[in-house]
Amino acid sequence: MNRLSVTIDGHVFTVEIPPLNRATNEVSMIVDGQEVHVLMPEVGGPEPLDWIIVNGRPYELVIDRDLHWMRARSGLHQVEVRDLDATVARPASGDGRVKAPIPGLITRVLVAAGDHVEAGQPLLVLEAMKMENEVRAPRTGTITHLSAAAGQSVTLGALLAEIE
Amino acid sequence: MFQKILIANRGEIAVRVIRTCRDMGIRTVALYDDSDLGSLHVRLADECVRLASGALYRDVATIVQIARDCGADAVHPGYGFLSEHAEFAHACEDAGITFIGPDSATLAAVRNKIGTLENVSAAGFAVPRHSARPYGESETAALMDAAETLGYPLVIKSYSGGRSHGTRLVREPEHLAPLAQHAHSAALTAFGDDRLYIEEAFLPGRYVEVQVLGDRHGALVHLGERDGSIQHNHRKIIEESPAPGLSDAQRDELCGQAVAIARLLGCHSVCTVEFVLDDQGRFVFTEVKARIQVEHPVTEMRTGIDLVREQIRLAAGEPLGRTQDDIILKGCAIQARINAEDPWNHYLPSPGRLRRFRFPGGPNVRVDTYAYGGCDIPVRYDPLLAKIVAWDVDRVACLGRLRRAIADFAISGVQTNLPLIQRILDDPDFAAGTYDSEFTRRQLLNTLASSGNLRDLAVAAALAYARRSADGNGALPERASSGWHRESRRLPQ
Repeated sequence: MNRLSVTIDGHVFTVEIPPLNRATNEVSMIVDGQEVHVLMPEVGGPEPLDWIIVNGRPYELVIDRDLHWMRARSGLHQVEVRDLDATVARPASGDGRVKAPIPGLITRVLVAAGDHVEAGQPLLVLEAMKMENEVRAPRTGTITHLSAAAGQSVTLGALLAEIE
Repeated sequence: MFQKILIANRGEIAVRVIRTCRDMGIRTVALYDDSDLGSLHVRLADECVRLASGALYRDVATIVQIARDCGADAVHPGYGFLSEHAEFAHACEDAGITFIGPDSATLAAVRNKIGTLENVSAAGFAVPRHSARPYGESETAALMDAAETLGYPLVIKSYSGGRSHGTRLVREPEHLAPLAQHAHSAALTAFGDDRLYIEEAFLPGRYVEVQVLGDRHGALVHLGERDGSIQHNHRKIIEESPAPGLSDAQRDELCGQAVAIARLLGCHSVCTVEFVLDDQGRFVFTEVKARIQVEHPVTEMRTGIDLVREQIRLAAGEPLGRTQDDIILKGCAIQARINAEDPWNHYLPSPGRLRRFRFPGGPNVRVDTYAYGGCDIPVRYDPLLAKIVAWDVDRVACLGRLRRAIADFAISGVQTNLPLIQRILDDPDFAAGTYDSEFTRRQLLNTLASSGNLRDLAVAAALAYARRSADGNGALPERASSGWHRESRRLPQ
């Protein structure tokens, strides 16, 4: 059993989950000491998890692939998952990679490689859907890599810069 | 009647117009640029013509030439782009092609928004105090002076267009210069004209508008009012009819004023007369929209009248064929605009490829969209993805139906404002109909989920996490290349 701490909209649950295998789409888990029975799409299918049935209650879901949010009938929920068995392997904080938050066109680059930047400082301006969006530094540090250039079109998640 | 109509637009309104043309047995020609190749309007039309660049959707000479080349006898401009462009209407008239809308002289008259305010004021109707002329981008000092004279709060509006491009509410003097700067460039991008004018703002107020329908022979009727007070990021998001909370006397006065003003301005075809209802219960005329509007389905659901069909019929010179007594306004209709926007990122646009796009169904639920599962939502146009409208006999039932339909709408692949719409519809003030234009400035709470519900969602999150780990160990090469594999090694933060 893998023990996870799952926070949904500020409510914390401890979930114990067995290793999943591809042979079955049913699994029993323990949530805060109570057993729940779950049906789900086959493990290893092409789609991310988009529905489950928990103790006979069906849910249709859109789950962020970084597991920061999910949408259900009840609306949008904030999610945090911590692996209680993997505290050692867990990186201390987010990495310093700056990725394109939306696809678009880089209209201006406001920093150069080697610059020192403060967390929250605008790094570049990305134009998408008729709006100019500032992409800001996720942390304080030095720009070690800058691959963005004005006039360049970028796809979602494209690496723009790295800060160390 | 027309044989072939060129639709000089894109997105959901192009689809909307094509559908009515099909119903009427009229052939259609769609326009598209590279980013719109996958849109539904291209697939549904009888013919389609490629534009060399997206800017050409509002290029007068190009569109008139295409209309000539394809043998269209009429052009439907939709909303935005060339819909209120008097020179375009005039160019169509010169080419012997019918512009589906008012004639170019009427368009030119109502497009002169300051002149219109003065005409309407001279006829004895209330209008907001406003600047005496529009200001270009280089006239910041003169704009500041005019604002000083007018006082705050005020609204900056684009001289040439609507659809909220260029419209900015200014509450404090220090915000004027930066907001005017944004409005200038937004108006220039959207309408090719950077001029702005300012008028007095009414806060709190309600934005109410009346749909009117008129023929070229002087017959004019109204189809009831709509309330569009709920806005987010300067754009209307929820519209409904009837406007909640008006007395019968107020409603009669509002619709009566609208018809009188439309007659005064020589409006025909499909037009909307817009008012602000101030906190004293006074209706103040603001402008006329001489085109089909985004929120027109609300009126269609209440009246059973296809407004695009009427627009085409009236443009062909047919008489209105109905009197005010023939117009029956039934029940309540509410529309929500679903935008591709990221709720976690200040509702900034979220373009991309739609993975799942499943409509809600059931009686009296309508979805207007250009999108379908697997299609791309282009970066270069506005984020309106779909409109959803529900109708029922009264507002309580209608709201229940729309809430259910919104919860049923399954969209993945791009982010949407569906959660915001859910919160608005669940808000007690919205449910009571006692909202005003300040509504979305306050905090909206998520009240839908019960604690048992949250526990089940925690199970889903745990499973998603475990499946991701299981996938990371699997031997699926596309995972590795999509970045999924790489990210699965990182724990969520």
